[in-house]
Amino acid sequence: MKAELLARLLAVAGIVVPLAGVGVVLAPRLSSGGEAIEIHARVAEEGGWQPSELVVAAGAPIRLRLTSDDVVHGFAVGQSDIQAVEILPGQYTELTVTFDRPGRYAYYCTRWCGAGHWRMRGTIEVVGGELPSTAPQEPLYVALGLDIDAPHLAPEAPGRRPSSVAGAALGVEPPAEMTGRGYYESHTPVQAIESLRAEASLSWMDDQEMWDLVALLWRRNTTAETLETGRELFAQNCAACHGEAGGGDGVMAGSLLTLADGPSATEAPQPADFTSLRSMLGASPALLQGKILRGGMGTGMPYFGPILTEAQIWSLVDYLWTFTMEYEE
Amino acid sequence: MKRLDLLRSPAVASLLRSRWPTLAISLLALAGFVLAIVAGLAGTPVGSRNFGIIAVWIAWWAALILIAVPLLGRGWCSICPLPLPGAWLQRGGVFAPSARRRGLGLRWPRRLRNLWTQNIGFAILAVLSTAILTQPSVSAMVLLGLMAAAVGVSLVFERRAFCSYVCPVGGFIGLYSQVAPLEIRVRDASVCAGHSEKTCYFGSQHGEGCPWQVFPAGLNRNSACGMCFECLRTCPHDNIALRLRPFGSDLPRPAGRRLDEAYKGLLMLASALAYSAVLLGPWGAIKTAAFRVGTPEWAIFAGAFLAAAFIGLPGAFALHVVAGRALGGLRRGLRETVAEFAQALIPLGLAGWAAFSLSFVLSNLSYLWAVLSDPFGAGWNLIGTAAGAWTPYLGGALPALQTGILVCGLAWAASLARRIAARLVGGGTLGGRRRAVALASPVVSFALGVTVLQLWLLIG
Amino acid sequence: MQPRLLPPPTRFPVRRAVVGAAGWVILLGLTAAILIIPAPAGPAPRDRTIRVEASSYAFDPARVEVNRGDRVTLELAAQDVVHGLYLDGYDVRLRAEPGQTARLTFTADRPGTFRMRCSVTCGPLHPFMIGKLSVGANLPMWRGAALAGLAAVFGLWFLRR
Repeated sequence: MKAELLARLLAVAGIVVPLAGVGVVLAPRLSSGGEAIEIHARVAEEGGWQPSELVVAAGAPIRLRLTSDDVVHGFAVGQSDIQAVEILPGQYTELTVTFDRPGRYAYYCTRWCGAGHWRMRGTIEVVGGELPSTAPQEPLYVALGLDIDAPHLAPEAPGRRPSSVAGAALGVEPPAEMTGRGYYESHTPVQAIESLRAEASLSWMDDQEMWDLVALLWRRNTTAETLETGRELFAQNCAACHGEAGGGDGVMAGSLLTLADGPSATEAPQPADFTSLRSMLGASPALLQGKILRGGMGTGMPYFGPILTEAQIWSLVDYLWTFTMEYEE
Repeated sequence: MKRLDLLRSPAVASLLRSRWPTLAISLLALAGFVLAIVAGLAGTPVGSRNFGIIAVWIAWWAALILIAVPLLGRGWCSICPLPLPGAWLQRGGVFAPSARRRGLGLRWPRRLRNLWTQNIGFAILAVLSTAILTQPSVSAMVLLGLMAAAVGVSLVFERRAFCSYVCPVGGFIGLYSQVAPLEIRVRDASVCAGHSEKTCYFGSQHGEGCPWQVFPAGLNRNSACGMCFECLRTCPHDNIALRLRPFGSDLPRPAGRRLDEAYKGLLMLASALAYSAVLLGPWGAIKTAAFRVGTPEWAIFAGAFLAAAFIGLPGAFALHVVAGRALGGLRRGLRETVAEFAQALIPLGLAGWAAFSLSFVLSNLSYLWAVLSDPFGAGWNLIGTAAGAWTPYLGGALPALQTGILVCGLAWAASLARRIAARLVGGGTLGGRRRAVALASPVVSFALGVTVLQLWLLIG
Repeated sequence: MQPRLLPPPTRFPVRRAVVGAAGWVILLGLTAAILIIPAPAGPAPRDRTIRVEASSYAFDPARVEVNRGDRVTLELAAQDVVHGLYLDGYDVRLRAEPGQTARLTFTADRPGTFRMRCSVTCGPLHPFMIGKLSVGANLPMWRGAALAGLAAVFGLWFLRR
């Protein structure tokens, strides 16, 4: 009966050894470098981040093990310089992060993963350590008392897109109070052109030339590097809904219907058309910044306040003008 | 041509007589099976990174349909892990049968001694297959369910009734095993006639009676023989032979009026066409409908598939047979003639399945290397291959390979149809030869139509 | 009327052997002809830009048609999640995310119909997300159909043992 005994032993081994794999997989992963936090990424419709709330200590390195249960996702922490990583389905990406200051941080998905992509967010509560010394400032649109939900159609629009190149070719110096960043951020192009029309020294210019001068003013308040940053941010975050050419016709535009909880089906909200002269020329950079910060109140426009830094949002705003204005290359 | 009997070699005979080789390989298969179930239930839900999907539906399936069945007949059945736990319980031992048998040992009901249970089982799996092939947890539950059914059947009925009459895989393996170049037969039937104990069927102290309910002296084709070699152990007269033979030697043979086998062939043919269209076609709506089991779209898909498989294709085939009967002036009954000519669908269906399988196997085989390093998709890297990128193989050569397989299958099917017709008509005379051609032509044109359709689905 | 029986062969069946050999020669000759016949010359090659929209689980258009020798620029526009595009026989790979169209240019010098496969896991049915690229007439399929016809005829009439 030795053969039978051996055969039974082998049979038990054949069943138990693979079963043991379960234990290894389901047991919490421990390593010599400290505990790792395992986060599963799923599309928002299937639950989003699992878990979606973390509590960690300030100053300590946190090991994250990220995997996706369905499609390609990405991971990044808002308002931080932590490099974004891609999360591939069925594979693990490891990341070690350290938070120096306490507070609430948002982590979000950086690869479009369906209509619910922008809702894929989680929070990391960082406790301990020193609180930041400065309180957060209120956004500009709040300070200006702007109603960013109010319509902002310009009463008129130029025949062609305002061109900063043409504006520079005019060889005119705009009024000094209009040239600073402060003016740019808080005024609309329509307000700018009305100020220009009030200048007696510029009365020889026709409307189109004045628009070109406004474009020049706008262009001078940003740099090529900032525009490039804005372009990249737009491609990654905005183009899917607003369209790669900014026309409000992105591939995701049709699915906004499912996200809007305000309007009825017949009033499906459409992403803003950044190429519309009448719409954009009546908006100020502060208003655009406000929309990006706060989101669209039931229109499907996400709020990027916890996600993008102030510098990133301003670079986006600066870039948005390139859809209606001709900047030099 | 005298067929080479491999058991004449003492080395081969002692290897196959020993229970260790089969036990060792089947325990490996069992370990793989358990791992597939566990990975499916506890591992990543991403199918392409889960052992439960890749090892079963890519690796095992490719080995089965491209190598095991065409070359070894029902050889897979001898090492299949599904019936193992049930068989161990039933015969009271892992290594060899003992006296401590368990189970009721009832005889399988006479009315179910056909392929119909397996036809229906396969059809059910077919309409669910888009979900089974792509979702690890679903696949694991199907495998678990099959093993549970095997254990249950073993505890109620005698021998390997599950394998013979229930297993959906066994149904088509048996049919296509007739193509293989290996056979187990008796050497001299008169020896069996003089042997009254028939230990090959009733068992002895060396082993149990044929678990496949086959009487070796009556074995004239591969369909029912599971190649377990119990008869080799129990025959006291060394009368069992394992012969190499030309491909497809079992066909044609008198088919009687058995429509269950005809339907098995037609069902497999319809499935090969349907799978080629649904899984490998460019129509995303059909794929999604087939995937979302339980929805109205899925119900439409399932209804269409079942109608085509059980009514449409068999009906078209029957019409071609009717035309042939008229052209060839055959007086036999329609049912008989359909059953006879359905044998021609065997090489056709096998070729169709091989051509279909080749596509998704070659394009997805590269997942296997990663899954061997990381079976659960848990971030392991056991043999260093976990980070391998997806690489489809032989994409440029695939159309030529598929064409070659389909054309060979068609040539064989046409030749087979001609031989069946010759036997039915009694060829040998000049008039008989012409009648045989006339009788077989519509069936051959049916086979041609099916081949061209699949050619268009796969490379059109 | 009695069926006419063939006379039994009394010596080496020369006639059968000759017919058999002739049959094989014809079969092999026709096979070779089918395999060797070149494609008819198509229209002159030109530059093309084709936008392919990828959503789970199909490409749109599902079938892209170009002429042999065209310089094809494929634009892959993902509609819902990250998708990829791989071309059998051309080893062309693209990857696109919604909002960022990917572009790749290649020369369609190999004739036939090739499968486009998604190369980035995009959900459960990802391995079966398939489209087609047709370069010129689908000569391999027509050759295959012709060979199938040949197989049917010869199998029925000639290849009996």
